Amino acid sequence: MEADFTSQIREKARELLEKGTVECVIGYETGSDGVSARPSFIYNPSEVERLVFDNTCSHNLVKYLLDKKGKPTAIVVKGCDSRALNLLLSEKQLQRDQIFIIGVVCPGVVEWGWNRRSEQFQKRCDLCRQHTPLVYDLLIGTPVTEEPPPEFTDIAEMSARATEERASFWREQAERCLRCYACRQACPGCYCIDCFVEQLDPEWVGIRIATGENLMWNTIRAFHLAGRCIACNECERVCPVNLPLSLLNRKLEEEMLELFDYRAGMSEDATAPLITFIKEEKLGIGE
Amino acid sequence: MSADNEPLIIGFLCNWCSYAGADMAGTSRMAYPSNIRIIRVPCSGRVDPLLIVKCFQEGADAVLVAGCHPGDCHYNEGNYYSRRRFAVLRALLDFMGIDKERFRVEWVSASEGKRFSQIVSQFTEDMNRIGARKAG
Repeated sequence: MEADFTSQIREKARELLEKGTVECVIGYETGSDGVSARPSFIYNPSEVERLVFDNTCSHNLVKYLLDKKGKPTAIVVKGCDSRALNLLLSEKQLQRDQIFIIGVVCPGVVEWGWNRRSEQFQKRCDLCRQHTPLVYDLLIGTPVTEEPPPEFTDIAEMSARATEERASFWREQAERCLRCYACRQACPGCYCIDCFVEQLDPEWVGIRIATGENLMWNTIRAFHLAGRCIACNECERVCPVNLPLSLLNRKLEEEMLELFDYRAGMSEDATAPLITFIKEEKLGIGE
Repeated sequence: MSADNEPLIIGFLCNWCSYAGADMAGTSRMAYPSNIRIIRVPCSGRVDPLLIVKCFQEGADAVLVAGCHPGDCHYNEGNYYSRRRFAVLRALLDFMGIDKERFRVEWVSASEGKRFSQIVSQFTEDMNRIGARKAG
């Protein structure tokens, strides 16, 4: 299957580049460890043999499209990544006619590291509801319909703990945070030119090394993705200290579903819940 | 929690309704606890979640946001946005260990001085009951 996907991607990439339909194809290639995939930018038809697709292709490449604005680009997306495309299209960050989308029906990607790959699916893939891309120009693989697994069991477990326990849990997590902002850099939804965390006046988050500042960063990072997070879980994957960021993201996802029956990135003309309102709604606020 | 062991409540009051409501409480000589420190904002929709989280980070025990009743917003729709925003923020903060009770959003009109003083008294009482927040 992998070899088949790879050859189809290469074929399409060659065609697009030869015809000049696109300037660049963003896909995956095998990294220098010979095992795991890394993002690849192909500009020349003679280089398409570098492209691969296998079960280590976990990067969400959609983030790179933000650097390709105004340039026709082709991109390889998995199901989860396609939701990021929808998110950015709905937020008018990308132009649909500038992008050629090579959608791949993704069976799931595995945990991997330098020169090793496990047989274990990543946690997000165990929870995946979107194996088939939502938006594509070319679909590779056969669409699957699977009964989606129960989503929020770990969130419920966390919520069942005492408030004090939750507070100390997150304090402990925040203590480990290095504030390297890798979570932000990897996130397709984090594209502000001036992030609040780097503002100096007012200085929302101080530069000093302190748990409170880390907590502030992680709380607001999660909140800014409320109703926007598309659950690709790249933030958690790139975190050098393995903070359980998906707990926060999925808590908000659950909240969005409960309050507004909304899931981010499902269509390219969706309106995020926090930028709209219904006058008569009851949300348990001020009542 | 301040030095004298009194809960510290930060209140963001909208200029058009709730701040005037608090003023009404004052001019009508209605007593309410001094635990609340009031910050006047143009609209409850102006209150960025950053402000709320910052208050808690800097050691506030509780935060109150008060604005015009839905339908009465001076800017027509500011409080509808804040209603959605804070419903979500409150759930997130609770999940991260800041009790739901510590963050309240209330609608107080300019004529509801009495209601304002009741809200603050009740809020202070509740905070005394659940006690101080640990820093962080």
